[in-house]
This record gives sequence, C-alpha cells and structure tokens, in this order.
Amino acid sequence: MKCAQCEELFTDLVNHELAPAEKEKVERHLAGCPDCTLELVSFKQLWGEMEAVETPVPSAYLKVKFQAMLETYKESVKEEENTAWDTLKEQWKRLWKVQPRWPMAYNLAVILAGFAITWWVAVPQKTGDQGQQLKVLSAQVTELKQTMMLTMLENPSASERMRAVSYTTELKQADAQVIDALLTTLDNDPNVNVRLSTLDALSGMAAYPEVREGLIRSITGQKDPLMQSAIADVMLKLQEKRSVGSLKKLLRQKDLDHGVREKINQTINSLI
Amino acid sequence: MNTLTDNSIMLKVKAGDLDKIGLLFERYNRPLYGFLFHMTYQRETSEDMVQQVFYKMLKYRHTFTGSGEVKHWMYSIARNVLKDQVRRKKLAMSGESVEVVASHVAAGLTPEEHLEKKQAKLALQKAMARLSEDYREVLTLNKFQELKYHEIADILGASETAIRTRVHRAMQELKSIYVRMEQ
Repeated sequence: MKCAQCEELFTDLVNHELAPAEKEKVERHLAGCPDCTLELVSFKQLWGEMEAVETPVPSAYLKVKFQAMLETYKESVKEEENTAWDTLKEQWKRLWKVQPRWPMAYNLAVILAGFAITWWVAVPQKTGDQGQQLKVLSAQVTELKQTMMLTMLENPSASERMRAVSYTTELKQADAQVIDALLTTLDNDPNVNVRLSTLDALSGMAAYPEVREGLIRSITGQKDPLMQSAIADVMLKLQEKRSVGSLKKLLRQKDLDHGVREKINQTINSLI
Repeated sequence: MNTLTDNSIMLKVKAGDLDKIGLLFERYNRPLYGFLFHMTYQRETSEDMVQQVFYKMLKYRHTFTGSGEVKHWMYSIARNVLKDQVRRKKLAMSGESVEVVASHVAAGLTPEEHLEKKQAKLALQKAMARLSEDYREVLTLNKFQELKYHEIADILGASETAIRTRVHRAMQELKSIYVRMEQ
C-alpha cells in the first residue's frame, strides 16, 4: 500500500467504515511508515476538534410553533373532509336537479299537456272550436319538446345530451329535424355514451326509412369498437340486409378490433 | 419505555393519527435543526425550516411507504426545503459571512468554554463555513449527525462509494483551509 492510498482511508478509519481486511492493510502500512503515522495523528486531531464545533439547539419557541402548526393542520384536514362531504352531498342533490331550467320547462309542458288531455277526455261535450284548440295545443307541446331536445343536444355536458336523446324516445312522432339531429349526434358526438344512447334511441325509430338508411350510412364512420359492435347488434335486430355492404367495408379496416371483427362476421352470416 | 420505531410512528401518522408526529418531532427536531443550521448559519431561518419539514411530512404523509427509513426521508425533505429557501431568499450558504457565523457560534458558549476552546472552535467553524455546500453537507451529516455512509447515500440519492470519496475530499479540503488560516 502506498502512502497516498493509506491517507485516503483515514476518513473511513475514523468513521469505522473500513472492512477488516482494509483496516489490517492500513495498520500494517502505518507500522512501517512514520510519515503516515504522523499524518494520521494530525488527522485525528482535526477530526476530534470538529467535535468542539458548536451545534446550537433550537429555541423553546420551536416546539410551541410546531404544536400550533400541527393544530392548524388538523383543523384544515377536518375542514377539507367537511368540504369533501359537502361537495358529495351537493353533487348528490344536483343529480336530481341538474340545470333546473330546461327540465322544469319540460315538466311544466308535460303537466300542461296532462291538463289539456284530461280536459279533452273528461269534457266530452267539447265544441268543434275547443277540439281545434286542443289539437293546436298538443302540437305546440310536441314542438316544444322537440325544440328543447334540439337545444339540449348542443349542451356541452354529456349527461345533458344523453338526457336530450332519452327525451326523443318519448316523442310519439319524430320529424325530419329530430331524426337528422340524432343521426348527426350518432356520427359526431365526442362522447361514446351519448353515441350509444343515440343509437338506442334511433333503433326504436326503425319504422322511419330515413332512420334505417342513416344507420347503415353511419356504420363505416364509427371508429369506437363499442359503437361498431353495438351498431352490428342493431342491424341484426332490425334484420337489415342492406347493411351487409357497409359491414363488409368495415371489415376491410386494418386496425379493426379482433372481437369486433368476429362479431361483424357473425352478423353478416346471420343476415345473409 | 419507548419501543415504537420511527417507521411505525410515521405509518400511524399516515393512517390518520396526526398527533403521533409529535413523537418524531421530539426525536428529530434537534438533529434537523443542527443540519439546517450548519448549512445556513441562521438560527431563525433554520427553525422555520424545521417547521416546514414537519409540515411537509404531514402534507405528503400518504407518499411514505414504510420501505425506507423515516429519518432518511426527513433529511431528504430538509434538503428540499433548504433548496427552496435558497432559491427564494438567495441565502448565502458559503463562507461569506464567516465573521457573523463565528459570533453566532460564540454566543452559544459558556464562559469556561470560551476560554478553553474558543480559538479552535472559531477557526474550525470558519473553515467549515468556507467549504463548498456539497462538502459541508456530507461532513455535517457524517460528523455532526453521525450518519453512516450508506445512510447519507440514501438521503442524497448517491452511491456509497461516491459518499465515501466525497467525505474524504471534504476532509482534505477542510484541512487545507484550516492550515491556510493558521498561517
């Protein structure tokens, strides 16, 4: 062992961090090297003097401050928990009255319609004039529902749009505007759940030829595996043989989900 | 008899028994303060930083997994608090205010100590203050906090060999500064 190597191990030696073999080597070198022995003495002296270096202790005030901090922190945690609980309650409440204006208008309209129908049924001795008024009134109610639905479909909240879609199932008759709006939603809505409920609503309107055609057209445009599989189901349910072409086109997509591919193959086989 | 390990205390704190952190405060406020003091030489700032360390331990208690030592985690937090403090207040951490440091240290001594060790203490304290931050940090942890190489390695996120070398170089540097001052 050279002197430089030995000196390098002084820190480890005083720190008791030397492996026994290394320690032995150092000791053997020191025994035959007065220079290094002197060096070690001076090193140990410095190391010892460092112990005299004062490390002050914190003031008693630190503990007081710590206790205060701890109490404040505990309070804030409690508040946070309360706030979290409040938020939860608030959300729960909101579930039942999301954006009150439209649903309220809708409810009002339904109640009005209810009154009108009761009036119509309970008062059979209606004049021709009243019958006419009633027709106008119920036409207005339907129109109101449609307008509301169309407006709600534009709502940025996905749950509101789903609600709008669900309203359409209550419409006895759907006009071209509603069908068109639903088909547009089916193709373009960013939320897959909205698209799925739209598909559901549209499958209930299969009596309209434009709905069937729109659904077939929509097949190739669907990118989400969920939608692809759901639309295949609808085609099977409607026994829509005209959809086979579009379904086959979908099969040609390279990145089509494996499960969806199988399902579409099955659908095509059942349809043919 | 106090048989609760640091880790089991901290796990209790994590589970929601926030008062238990008081036990860790009792055990570690002094060493942490000592470490932060040797890195800044500012008493009040060091106390504030100790406070911040415990606040952060509470705030980030959910991140404590129990796989490592609480002590090492505390020192890591202390190092981060220190870095933030330096960034915010541009704390002078090198030996620029050596005279101030020396008087700070001298203020904490008894009259007997004054006579006895005054010279050596002041000179060494000055030499320590002139060390680079990296060197002062490892020496403080090793010598004053009595931490083993592997513990320092854990706190600093370095290898044990790197720490071994750094402590050795820090001692060499300290010695050469000390010798120069004596001349």
